[in-house]
Amino acid sequence: MMIELENVTGGYGHRTIIEGIDLLVAEGETVAILGVNTAGKTTLIRAISGALPHQKGHIRFEGRDISDDPPHARVSSGLACVPEGRHIFPQMSVVENLMVGAYHRRSSALDEDLEAAFTLFPRLKERRRQMAGTLSGGEQQMVSFCRAMMARPKLLLMDEPSHGLAPMMVEEVHSAINDVNSRGIAVLLVEQNVSSALRVASRGYVLDHGRITLEGTAGELADDPFVKKTYLGI
Amino acid sequence: MKRSLLILAVIAIAAILLGLALDPRSYGVRVLCLILMAAALGQAWNIVGGLANQISLGHAAFFGIGAYTSTVLQVQFELTPWIGMPIGAVLAAVAAGAIALPTMRLKGPYFALATLAFGEICRIGAQAMSGVTGGPQGLSVPFYGDSLAMMQFRQPGAYVPLFAALFFLVSAVFAVMSHGRLGYMLRAVRENEEAAEVTGIDTVRIKLTGAIISAACTALVGGLFAQFTFFIDPDTVFSTTEISIRAALIAIVGGVGLLWGPIVGALFVVLVEEFLNSTLSDALPGISPFLFGVALVVIVIARPEGLVSFRHLVTDRFGKKGKEA
Repeated sequence: MMIELENVTGGYGHRTIIEGIDLLVAEGETVAILGVNTAGKTTLIRAISGALPHQKGHIRFEGRDISDDPPHARVSSGLACVPEGRHIFPQMSVVENLMVGAYHRRSSALDEDLEAAFTLFPRLKERRRQMAGTLSGGEQQMVSFCRAMMARPKLLLMDEPSHGLAPMMVEEVHSAINDVNSRGIAVLLVEQNVSSALRVASRGYVLDHGRITLEGTAGELADDPFVKKTYLGI
Repeated sequence: MKRSLLILAVIAIAAILLGLALDPRSYGVRVLCLILMAAALGQAWNIVGGLANQISLGHAAFFGIGAYTSTVLQVQFELTPWIGMPIGAVLAAVAAGAIALPTMRLKGPYFALATLAFGEICRIGAQAMSGVTGGPQGLSVPFYGDSLAMMQFRQPGAYVPLFAALFFLVSAVFAVMSHGRLGYMLRAVRENEEAAEVTGIDTVRIKLTGAIISAACTALVGGLFAQFTFFIDPDTVFSTTEISIRAALIAIVGGVGLLWGPIVGALFVVLVEEFLNSTLSDALPGISPFLFGVALVVIVIARPEGLVSFRHLVTDRFGKKGKEA
């Protein structure tokens, strides 16, 4: 198992946002977490990345309990994150942003990884010297995506990668997720855009008021009357 | 980066040659030493203030620790500053680590105030520990005459190579850092701390490393300052205005976070100060700090990149292309 959450509860101070979360992602799998705003999706992702340590329960990565690891140590273990709202380094160039993503590794194969990252989004290669803060929203999302890939992750966490993007850009990001997945990297994807998330992912969980209320394969979820009514508007 | 190091070496050698050309006892040589020292001080501050963007107003703490460590070791044990100064750098690094741990989560003015207070604590501490530091009366460097082994000379001219070497050392540290892994990581932390952390950067360790290197460099400048002036007291080497604010002023006026910033800033600050002191000190005493305050406000508002951002005025005139980014 790539990652395993067991009865994870977390939030800010005394305010619990997510409660009793059990979740699995297998090697090479793409899993979506669906839910409306305020369902606790970002809190869940931040608990897994370590940016907001969870309060109860266990998170195991490749069988090892990482609950007490700080975020940077989790990245070193192979758990990279594309945070919500992109969070790029605006005053640094595209290449510098990507290089920072690989610095914790102390390896010398940076150029290879850079090329591999650029194959996901060739457009970034043209803009490699440009300040990341001057890029469009979609391009910034690409930078954030590629920066996470520079860590050579085994599991990629993505928090709302399509948020605020033009429909064409959403397609591009989702096809990049498929591309990453075909390289054998597992993806845990948080999306508000349920219909497109169910096209990318093979399995999904529905998060509602901080609890998982439904889980199943993408097909099952797409056919579920509750999901249809609540998220797909059918 | 190689090009930057080469230019730095040329500047340092040019300063040494200029020192040889001038009368070793002259006022000009003294000003040259002050410029090199100011540039080294500003550059040491620039590591924390520029790369990590933490505006420290307490660098006098490290300057003073450096000055007192090597001087006290000379007075008590006749230990040469060649060894005493590195010991001072280590002690300053330890102090920087101790103060960085509780303050590194602070931002902007809060970090500035905490470091300001730390500098003052060190000044008062040095006054109180009169058994070791001589208290408010200060401490004289024991005189051995011209002695390279004890790093002291009768004429200011002999200090020019020392200051030039220190200037080169600190600037090279900055250049290597800002072009290397550590510099990028510091910049990433500065731009977005949480993103840096989830990108795999150990933000605590990176900030600590920056603070320690900056403090060690500052302590070396303080140690050489003591050798140059032969006398130190708490109000001078732990001075908030003369050291802490001055270090920040030099870097910010010149161009914060840029390698050439403190160099341009040091030229500006020292030359203007010396000119005003020699021409207007009778009519308008204390005019230079006033002017520097005004310059700081104007630059921060109108030219946040500092005086370095005017370089195109020079390069255009010579028909050269602007320096590539």
